[in-house]
Amino acid sequence: MTEAAVITTKDLTKTFGHFTAVDGFNLTIEEGELYGLLGPNGAGKTTIVRMLCTLIAPSSGTATVAGYDIREQAAQVRRRIGVVSDGVMLYRDLTIEENLKLFSTLYEIPNEQANARIKELLDMFAFKEKGKRMVKALSTGWTKKAMICAALLHRPSVLFLDEVTAGLDPQSAIALQEFTRNLCDQGVTVIWTTHYMGEPDKICDRIGIMFAGKLVKNGTPEELKHAVNGVTVVEADTPDLSREQLQKVKRKLNLNGTSKLKYEDSKLLITSDHNNDLAEQVATALMDVGAKIRAINTKMPSLEDAFIALTGGEEEIDRFVEAGQK
Amino acid sequence: MPALKIFTDSIAIAANEFLQFKRNRSAVLISLVLIPLFFTVSQGAGRGSAGSSYSQTANIPMVFVDNDRTMASVRLWQTLSGSQDFHRLTQASDEQTAIAGLGLKQYYAVIVIPKGFQNILVGSISNSTQARLILYTDDAEPGLTSEVTGTLTNYVQNFNPSIEVQPIVSELQLVRGRVGGVEIIRRGTSFPGFNIGLTVILAIVQIFAVFYEIAGGLSREREEGTFARLILSPMNISSMILGKTAFDLVLSTIRTFTVLGLGIVLYRGHPNTEIGTILVLSLLIALMTMGLGFLVSALKVGLRAVVILEFFLVLTLYAFSGLLIDKELLVGGAAVIANSLPFSYAFDAMRRTILVGRPLLSLTTDLTVMVASIVGLYVFSYVLLLTFRERLAT
Repeated sequence: MTEAAVITTKDLTKTFGHFTAVDGFNLTIEEGELYGLLGPNGAGKTTIVRMLCTLIAPSSGTATVAGYDIREQAAQVRRRIGVVSDGVMLYRDLTIEENLKLFSTLYEIPNEQANARIKELLDMFAFKEKGKRMVKALSTGWTKKAMICAALLHRPSVLFLDEVTAGLDPQSAIALQEFTRNLCDQGVTVIWTTHYMGEPDKICDRIGIMFAGKLVKNGTPEELKHAVNGVTVVEADTPDLSREQLQKVKRKLNLNGTSKLKYEDSKLLITSDHNNDLAEQVATALMDVGAKIRAINTKMPSLEDAFIALTGGEEEIDRFVEAGQK
Repeated sequence: MPALKIFTDSIAIAANEFLQFKRNRSAVLISLVLIPLFFTVSQGAGRGSAGSSYSQTANIPMVFVDNDRTMASVRLWQTLSGSQDFHRLTQASDEQTAIAGLGLKQYYAVIVIPKGFQNILVGSISNSTQARLILYTDDAEPGLTSEVTGTLTNYVQNFNPSIEVQPIVSELQLVRGRVGGVEIIRRGTSFPGFNIGLTVILAIVQIFAVFYEIAGGLSREREEGTFARLILSPMNISSMILGKTAFDLVLSTIRTFTVLGLGIVLYRGHPNTEIGTILVLSLLIALMTMGLGFLVSALKVGLRAVVILEFFLVLTLYAFSGLLIDKELLVGGAAVIANSLPFSYAFDAMRRTILVGRPLLSLTTDLTVMVASIVGLYVFSYVLLLTFRERLAT
C-alpha cells in the first residue's frame, strides 16, 4: 500500500456457490484517482463494488477502503464512501430533499450544515424546484443525479459509480463525466464501472479490464492501447455492400479468431493482429467482389480494440455473456 | 453515544415511514379503514350481532321454570320475556315436565331458576358465592346451545333484580347431566354475540395488517434498493427495526380504536374490561406479529410470498390458536400446536379480559408467553437480519 493509496485489494475473491464472480482481484487506487472498471455484463465489476462498499463480504482475500478494512471496519468504511448503483435507490415516495434530509440524519450531519449541504448539492445539479418533487416523478437522468446527491451528501472520500450513465441521455452522460472529473480534481477517489468502452477512455486516469471475474489488464488508456500494438485496424468506406459480398471478403481475408469484421453505415471495420498489409488486402478483397470503395484508412487501435484483443476476441466475449445469461 | 444514535436514527426511520405512508393514499385506506371495516362488518353481519334488530334466539320455543318464586326470579322472568330475544319464552311450573317436553321436541331450551336464587344473590354482596341458574338445551340441534347460552348470559350478566339487591350475576354456570333421555352438555361459559367477535376481529385485523406492513414493507424496500441504501449508511440495523416498530405501533393503535368503535357503536359490543387493557393486548399481538414479520423478511422472502404466507398464517391461527375453537377443546396434535403457538396465549388473554373481565395483570402465564415471544422474535430477527445482511442487500 503506497502512502496515498485509498483503495487496496489483495486476492479479493467472491464465489456464489460453485460460481466464482471475482477471482483473486489485486489493485491499488490512489487518492483523487478516477479509476475505470471495464468489462462486459457479468464480468464481476458490480460484485467488486459491492465488496468494497461492504454490501457483501468477500469469500477470501482482503481489501481496505479509505484506510479501513472492509471486513473488520465496515462501519468506518461506510462513513467514508458514497455509492451510486441501480441496486441502491432512493425512496420513491419522498421528495429529493426529504431523502437527503433522512440520510443527513443517519450520517449525523448537524441540521444547519445538512440544510446548507442539501442546498449546495441541489444547486450544483440545477435541481431548482425539482428538489421538492417526489423521486418517482423524476426522469431517469434526474433520478441518477438525485442518487449522486445522496452519495455525496456526507462528503465521502471514495465514490463508487456503478454503471451510472446507463439510461442517461448523451448530454447528461457527458455532464456527469465532467462533474466526476472535477470531483477527482478535488481529491475524491472515484471507481467508475461501465461496459461502455468510450467512457473510461475519455475521463479515467487508469482503467482495469475485467473479464470472467479476473483483472485482465490494468493501466492508463494509452498504456492499454499500446499493449495491443500488434493490432491493425482498417476502416473502409464502401457503400451498399451485400451480405454475400461481405462473406466473400471475410473468406478472402482469412481472418483468425481474435480478428473482427464489422459493417455498419457503409463503413467496414476490420481488426486483425500482426498484419501490416491489411489495408492492401482489404482493398484487393473489396475490388475482387465488385464493391464500391470511397476510402480506406488504417487507424490506431481504440480501447474497444484493446479490450477485445485482451479478452480473447468477440466470440469469446459472446460465449462468456451467453454463459452468464444462462 | 451509540444508544442516542440508535434512538435518533429510529425516530428518523419512523418519520420516514409516516411520510411515505401519508403519501400513499391506498395504503392509508387499506390499512386504517378497509381492513378494520371489512373484518368488523363481515363478523357483525355474519353473527347477526347482539343488539342488532335480528335475533337468532327470538323464535326458539323455550320454557322458564321458577323454583324460587322470589322478587329476583320474577324480575328475571320479566326481563327475559319482555326482551326481543325471547319472544317464545313461556312459563312452566314443573321442572321434570319441562325437561320431558325438551325430549319431545316441544321446547328447545329450559331455563330453571333453582330455589335460593335470590338469597344467594343477596349473599353475594358480602361473600364470593354466585347465584346459579340451570339451562337445559337440546343437543341434537347443533349451534343452538351456544346461541341460547350466549344470549341468556348477556341478559343475566346485566340483570339487576332490584334496587335493594345490588350485585348482579357475574358469571353464568351451567350443569351437566342426563335427564329424561336428553343429553345436556355443559358448554362452558359462553358470551354475548359481539364480544367474542371483538376478540377475533381485533386479533385478526392486527395480524393481517401488521404482517403485511412489516414483512411486505421490508421486501419492497429490498426489491426497490432502499434497504441497501439504508444499510450502506452508518445506521445500525436495530434502528431500522425500532423505527418501523414505532411507526406500526401508531397504526395498530388507530386500528384498535377503529375496530372497538365499530364493534361498540355499530354492533353494541360490550367489553368487560377497560379500553386500556384492550389496547395493551392488541398492541402486544401487533408486536408479536411484527417480530414474526421481521423474521420472515430476514429470510429474503419476496412480496408475493409475503402475501401467500400471510394467508397461511391467518388460516393456521384460525385453526389452532383458539380464535374459532377454544384451544382447551382441541385434542391430540392440534392441542400440541395450539399450546406451542404464542398467539394462542394472546387470544386467550383477549378472551379472559374482554369476555370475563379478568384483570390483565392476573394473566401471568399469558403475559409471560407474550412478552417472551416478542423478545425472542425480535432478538432472533435482529440476528438473522445481521447474518443475512449480504443476501438481503443483493
